[in-house]
Amino acid sequence: MLSLVERERYLRQIPLLGEGGQERLRDAAVLIAGAGGLGSVCAQMCACAGFGKIRIVDNDVVERHNLNRQVLYAARDHGLFKVDVAARRLRENNPLISVEPVRETITRGSIGNLAKGIDVIIDGMDNYDARYILDDAAFGEGIPLVHGAVNGFYGQVSSVIPGKTPCLHCIVPHPPPSGNIPILGVTVGTVGSIQVAEAIKLVTGLGKPIAGRMLLWDGLMGEAEVIPVSRDPSCTRCNGRGVVP
Amino acid sequence: MKVRVKSFAILRQFLPRETEVEIKEGALVRDLLGLLVKQAPPLAAELFNEQGELKDFVNILLNGRNIHFISGLDSPLREGDLVALFPPAGGG
Ligand SMILES: [Zn+2]
Repeated sequence: MLSLVERERYLRQIPLLGEGGQERLRDAAVLIAGAGGLGSVCAQMCACAGFGKIRIVDNDVVERHNLNRQVLYAARDHGLFKVDVAARRLRENNPLISVEPVRETITRGSIGNLAKGIDVIIDGMDNYDARYILDDAAFGEGIPLVHGAVNGFYGQVSSVIPGKTPCLHCIVPHPPPSGNIPILGVTVGTVGSIQVAEAIKLVTGLGKPIAGRMLLWDGLMGEAEVIPVSRDPSCTRCNGRGVVP
Repeated sequence: MKVRVKSFAILRQFLPRETEVEIKEGALVRDLLGLLVKQAPPLAAELFNEQGELKDFVNILLNGRNIHFISGLDSPLREGDLVALFPPAGGG
């Protein structure tokens, strides 16, 4: 049952999700891996939508050059830990949910605890070493992972679902060079919002996730295209379990 | 024979989003890339390293299958094939 306060807060979206769907969001725990550009947007959208528990993980402090795209932070937050500021902002936005900030780097050692009790992992990382750790945890624990990444005006989203889709190692077998990638707030806004739409769909069962497929956003053209993704026949992670529709 | 080529992200600076390419029977993906680079020379730096090897992070999907999982640049093309060139994004 939703409380009166919940019914009021979510009045405009309950017609879309149904009370049952809203309850499923409330009962869901999401791991936001990274509190940078994508992580900011994803955390904000998850809080607004009413995911009952948001665990947000990052080990960085707010720097001035983050502020063009990391929408959770203000100029006065310079030097503060991102997850602490994020938790304050998210709680202010939605006091009905529980927010758990974790000041940690995502490593093979830390991911086990971070993924415990989690229903959906949202990828807000800025490198593939960390993304592959999320992928392994997703397949190890059977938790869906909503992958997202950006570069300039371009971005990509794919829902990686253990037992259903190829893993992220198969989808992106060789990571692009990392470094100072140019990023714009509008791109993380778009891509992060699509990621949370995926998370909402995965939790409520609405619509059709971008699964076994990859959405490629082109902000310069103002268009998106969805392409199939493929599985490495020799992949030991998703082999025999990954299905390309 | 004819194959269709789609490009994504940064590659759209050098290639049309979608184009049809006339190529000899029995051509390989390698031949197709050679042809594309001839038409748009700056594309070479996006696809190949200084040794002339394919930059391995550039995903090339042949009818939806990554050529890394077929025969790489030696994967054969057939009439009507769809080749998608997609360099993944990495930022967050
Ligand atoms: Zn795999």
